[in-house]
Amino acid sequence: MAGLLRIESVFTAYDRADVLHGVSLTVEPGSITCLLGANGSGKTTLVRSILGLTPPRAGRIIFDGREITALPTHKIIAAGIACIPEGRKVFPKLTVEENLRVGAYGERSKAAVAARMDEIMRIFPRLAERRAQLAGTMSGGEQAMVSIGRGLMCAPKLLLIDEPSLGLSPLLVKENFNIIRHINARGITILLVEQNVHQTLAISHQGYVLSKGKVVAAGSPDELKDRAEVREAYFG
Amino acid sequence: MATSGDRLGGAGLALVKPGTCAGRAQLAMRHRVREKGRGSRPEAGSVATANTMDIGLFAQYVMNGLMLGMMYALVAVGFTLFFGVLDVIKFSHGDVLTVGAFTALATFVGLSRLGLESQWFDLAVMLGAATLAMALLGMLIARVLVLPLRGAPPLNTLLITLMLGTVLRESVRLFYPQGANPKPFPALLPRGSVNLGDFHLRFDNVMMLAAGVAAIAALQYLLHRTKLGLAIRAVAQDEETARTMGINFTAIVLVTFAIGSALAAFAGVMNGLYYNEINFGIGLYLGVIGFSAAIIGGLGSIYGAILGGFLFAALQTVGTVLLPFASAYKDVFAFAVVIALMAWRPTGLIREKISERV
Ligand SMILES: Nc1ncnc2c1ncn2[C@@H]1O[C@H](COP(=O)(O)OP(=O)(O)OP(=O)(O)O)[C@@H](O)[C@H]1O
Ligand SMILES: [Mg+2]
Repeated sequence: MAGLLRIESVFTAYDRADVLHGVSLTVEPGSITCLLGANGSGKTTLVRSILGLTPPRAGRIIFDGREITALPTHKIIAAGIACIPEGRKVFPKLTVEENLRVGAYGERSKAAVAARMDEIMRIFPRLAERRAQLAGTMSGGEQAMVSIGRGLMCAPKLLLIDEPSLGLSPLLVKENFNIIRHINARGITILLVEQNVHQTLAISHQGYVLSKGKVVAAGSPDELKDRAEVREAYFG
Repeated sequence: MATSGDRLGGAGLALVKPGTCAGRAQLAMRHRVREKGRGSRPEAGSVATANTMDIGLFAQYVMNGLMLGMMYALVAVGFTLFFGVLDVIKFSHGDVLTVGAFTALATFVGLSRLGLESQWFDLAVMLGAATLAMALLGMLIARVLVLPLRGAPPLNTLLITLMLGTVLRESVRLFYPQGANPKPFPALLPRGSVNLGDFHLRFDNVMMLAAGVAAIAALQYLLHRTKLGLAIRAVAQDEETARTMGINFTAIVLVTFAIGSALAAFAGVMNGLYYNEINFGIGLYLGVIGFSAAIIGGLGSIYGAILGGFLFAALQTVGTVLLPFASAYKDVFAFAVVIALMAWRPTGLIREKISERV
């Protein structure tokens, strides 16, 4: 199987010490693939490797049939990847609308930008009310909406989502999962990093468990549910 | 006569301290101005007869302060832009201004040799050549010196660009024909003025101010109404996230350095037109002031930098008025106030209102 995203024995290091020790995984087109693992197991590092923020020291990353391992970040994005980064990372001194516009930076058609903006305002009516507010003055949950909306603005083929529900209330977490499913239903492939194991597995098609920078388990949600590795990763 | 002349010199020719090479230039200039008795400088007699400052002189001080403030603001904005996108201080910024002013002068000399002496045409070509050349120089500096030093402590960038500034300055001195001497700068703007009572409002000053306002307005438009501006602001706020939005970080840095350096060239030409003279030291002096202005304004804020530039000019002007016996100390006065301001508001006058959330 080709896979939309193929990661082949990637080693990534900050400074000298390797954090990822030969990670391989495949994200099938159209799927929601989740990445589980304890704190510090290297999930964010893998996302950063894909984005070229901390390029792998060794190994290959192939996206849409093309190697992107050594490309600068903006070219990786241009190839059709978007991300909703860990910690939301909204631009605090840009308005909500400007944040969304930055998300559509690679899009040339003004009509397409306007259409997507409208769509996101429909998904998150709260953002429509607060179009002109500086994102840095929004509440944590509202900032999460900005971050998610921004990630959708470029209509990516693959969306990397790193712990979008961190710090949200249970109600918003549930809403969040609905939105992810909704996004996926419209044909966007998703690689999801999450801490809420049960809800994550409930919406995923495929999952990987990372531990200390290695893939220790992989399979369908049903297979993963009962695996000891998952329990170990989250419950010690 | 001598006193009023000095006071005028202090207000009007506030650019350089006596004693330095640039200072000699200033003295020479004062001399010339007194001889020529050009339009806007108030007549000595009017000062001598009035004990309190009359309206005309006051207006002249204000006009002069505005001109200085505009130049400082244009330089300060560059420091702010560079710091915004890269978190570095590029100390050679002022000397880029010098090179820009000399580029304009060389262009003028070239045009004159070709026999092209239409004022507006010459001015347009000079301004175009200076801003374009400095935009390219700014990009080159960013590409070759500043970007490669990203991994190093910011202090290293400051040091290296400080040295680069010296190289640029000394190059002008050594390689421009008689570059060590002050060079007369052509007065290409209309000479006329309207008399408002005692105050002669000079057309050239008004035009320069208007051009400065237009330049700043254009920058604001660029930053707040265009996609490029949005990208610059995004990079300034969070470089890494900006990159993950598909923004080509390197390209944005280069464009930003081009814009800032072009504005410095613009200020350099303005400086030449205002004083009808340039020398290799103008940029160093304007650079130090522009840097201070940017810091007062809370490095990173464009409005702050502009405010800082005008505030510094106001301080110098006030210093000149308050210290008529020693207007040479107006810079000491202005810098002393800046130091006091910094002690009072260490992060500058414009404070960030947004606390970042996790
Ligand atoms: N910038 C960095 N410099 C050095 N080490 C880092 C850096 N970022 C992360 N690490 C280390 O790399 C390891 C993996 O971190 P990573 O952020 O990928 O974990 P994670 O799986 O995303 O954890 P979490 O669930 O807490 O987000 C950790 O041991 C961490 O300390
Ligand atoms: Mg993480």
